[in-house]
Amino acid sequence: MKKESMNGKREQKLRLVCLILAACLMLAALAACGSGAQNTGTATTEAAATTAAAAATTAAAATEAATTAAATTAPAETTAAAASGGGAAANGERVDLVFYVMGDPPKDEKVVEDAVNAKLLEKLNATVDFQFSTWTDYQQKYANELTSGSADLIYIANWLNYGLMANAGAFLELDDLLTEYAPELKAIADEGMLNMCRVGGELYAIPNLWPEYVPIGIDYREDLRVKYNLPRPDSIENAEAYFLGIKQNEPDQPILRVTTEESQGLSQAFDAASILNIKYPWSMTNGLPYGLSSDYSTPTQISDYWNSQDFIDDCKLLKRWADYGFWSKSALSDTNDVDSYKNGLCVALVAGQNPNKHITNIKDFSELHPDWKSEYIAYGEITGSIYPGHATQNGTSIVRASKHPERAMQVLNYFMTDEEMNRLVQAGIEGTHYSLTDGIYKNLSSENPAPFPYEGFNSWNLRVTEFKLIQESDLVLNEMFKVYDELAQKTKFPNVNIAGGFSENYEDFQAERTAVTNIMRQYLAPLQAGLVDDVDAAVAEFLRQVNAAGLETCREHFKEQWIAYCTEYGYQ
Amino acid sequence: MDTQNVHSVRGIRGVRGDTAQVSFDVIKYALLVFCALVCVLPFVIIISGSFTDNSTILREGYSILPRNFTMNAYETIFKAPQDIIQAYKMTFYYTILGTALGLLMITLTAYVISRKEFKYRNTVSFLIYFTSIFGGGLVPWFLMYATVLGLKGSTVAIWFPALMSPFLVIIMRTFITGSVPEPITESAKIDGAGHVTIFARIILPVIGPGLATVGLFLALGYWNDWYRSSMFSTNSDTWELQFYLYNMLNATQALRQMSQNTSISTGDLPTQSVKLAMAVIATGPVLLFYPFVQKYFISGITVGSVKG
Repeated sequence: MKKESMNGKREQKLRLVCLILAACLMLAALAACGSGAQNTGTATTEAAATTAAAAATTAAAATEAATTAAATTAPAETTAAAASGGGAAANGERVDLVFYVMGDPPKDEKVVEDAVNAKLLEKLNATVDFQFSTWTDYQQKYANELTSGSADLIYIANWLNYGLMANAGAFLELDDLLTEYAPELKAIADEGMLNMCRVGGELYAIPNLWPEYVPIGIDYREDLRVKYNLPRPDSIENAEAYFLGIKQNEPDQPILRVTTEESQGLSQAFDAASILNIKYPWSMTNGLPYGLSSDYSTPTQISDYWNSQDFIDDCKLLKRWADYGFWSKSALSDTNDVDSYKNGLCVALVAGQNPNKHITNIKDFSELHPDWKSEYIAYGEITGSIYPGHATQNGTSIVRASKHPERAMQVLNYFMTDEEMNRLVQAGIEGTHYSLTDGIYKNLSSENPAPFPYEGFNSWNLRVTEFKLIQESDLVLNEMFKVYDELAQKTKFPNVNIAGGFSENYEDFQAERTAVTNIMRQYLAPLQAGLVDDVDAAVAEFLRQVNAAGLETCREHFKEQWIAYCTEYGYQ
Repeated sequence: MDTQNVHSVRGIRGVRGDTAQVSFDVIKYALLVFCALVCVLPFVIIISGSFTDNSTILREGYSILPRNFTMNAYETIFKAPQDIIQAYKMTFYYTILGTALGLLMITLTAYVISRKEFKYRNTVSFLIYFTSIFGGGLVPWFLMYATVLGLKGSTVAIWFPALMSPFLVIIMRTFITGSVPEPITESAKIDGAGHVTIFARIILPVIGPGLATVGLFLALGYWNDWYRSSMFSTNSDTWELQFYLYNMLNATQALRQMSQNTSISTGDLPTQSVKLAMAVIATGPVLLFYPFVQKYFISGITVGSVKG
């Protein structure tokens, strides 16, 4: 009897222990979710990038044979083309090409494709099927596309690791193809832009031919500045006076909505630190990775920003701003809110802005708050470190496995050198999708999204200055570009974005790099968000931790690659 | 042991075990309530958010009950509902077709490997089981369907890969062996029944709960899938519903990131409350459907386990 009851009791105790254990496990899982979430984003992207590069290598090897075969048949076709004067009949049998682009398809994809193909069949006896990556898992799918080699033409960009992919042999060398099959395109393509697309001396991509400026800057409420007679935020001191003036006049008005989201790189860890670009003519936005820095005019003279007095002073400045209450005490855990500016949740945006976003803000203000006014100052206007977007920002390549590289090049040539064709691909059918009044583009649909929006194929890589239809917003944008262009002409490397073509190869120091990133999130973010009591001590602690995480290894690798890159392209 | 004895045992236990029992109950219920809240709260917040004015969400954050009640988000969606209706249609199509074909194939396979007279049943079972542990990985999987079978862009690529899963085949096999005793099929065989008759007239009628369970697993799998659309669709008309929603969220984020480096328009992105309303619309049918089949679902989980 007694034994039985003892057994029962023991059983119950056991159950209790089990329950408690289960509870602990669940709590741990929940906690892990919280801290893990931030890391996964970058981790997956990085992983995808590495797989992509690896996959590309295999693809290259596997399809080399195919390419050689294609190359040998090419001359035959050329002779035929030359013989009959380049007409439709010249192009032998009909070829169906695939053009792989990023993002989501427009509703009227088929309609515009049919119109494009009607012209293509007539002129080149070819068709093009635009295939879209969608915005889900696009890094992975981009890599798959290169591996399976089902595409011919493909969108490339530095943010899709163009440099690494080209090095791994994912794309075809284009120099000869360009000369032979796209002489018109070669004639209008700027040699400097083409050179920026070269990797190891070989040309793998044709850049878009619309120089654009995307300098980071500060977007601020001009109406409030005028109302309280404050200075323009065109320097650190003036920005401070501007923010403080508003804070004093309207204590309830939040000043900045800054988080850690725009600063996921290896230079800064908190968005407010972006404003430091206003005082340093850095060669790369936010300075070089791993706390290094160099000036735009002397990119290879690298200095150690994190170990400098400047860094301590900057942290003290940010701490002062935090103490003034320019941003919320929970800024580190806040999520970035794109709509905060237009909803009056902040008076300025200091990170992640560019002229085009500024235009969007102007549009939002005119719809929601007609009496508000937004102004933009690019940091580069002040420091003189200003340059257009890099050529590899938007470009087109031919996949190495393509069976018809010459036809693909001809199609690209047609897309980019024929006004009618270019406008058809970029804007759809005039009268159906858009209309032109006084040369200004206007979409004819009130639906959202429109059946074929502006650049509905996401073919930002096919932009050509002479043919690009002007939207209403472009008028302001072009004015801004003109100013930037004048400034950019005066820099040491006129109109060259020196950092844009650089892609870091971190295979050899992946572990250290990840450790440094984690330390930056853990120590640098609160430091730059001004949430520490003693700045000097916090800086010392951060440096100690980041050095222990392997900062030196990362720096050495980075410096070596960066200097090699600058030397290759002549940025000395 | 007579009745009185049993009572006295309970009595002793009652006195000594009361506190333990109570604290056990408290912890048990607290834990369950906590779990239930963790499951339910996000959904309540989604529903409430979908009825909240977008700028209120931005200014004041989410709440359990909607503040500034509005149907704006739903109006926006149903102004041009073709996309979402198309996605719904496709998901129903994939779910019904996939579940029906999948059930057929799984049950037939399970029947074969449950038969004693099939000499290689253990080898075949092992091969099926083996694939659940060792797979080729993503890239070969993609290349197999896209390049070797040439299914990229076809709707077949969306329902075909999920027709069978080793887990479900094994559940089904266990269920068949467990619910149809050997002598019954034996006697049917002696009476001259072939495999088709045995399967259709003896096995099928008694494995109803097994079919419901496996069917539910399959159907939920199809309903919740987005990955195959992501990998194989080349036309937005063939998208699954979940992919349509997931991609919308991704597009918002990707375009925002992209617009930092190049001039693209970000004006048309859906607002927070529209996204929430989309989520409600997508989960709706499953929510209505679930309570009715839930009992099978729960019994199904124990199908594979030992039975008394």
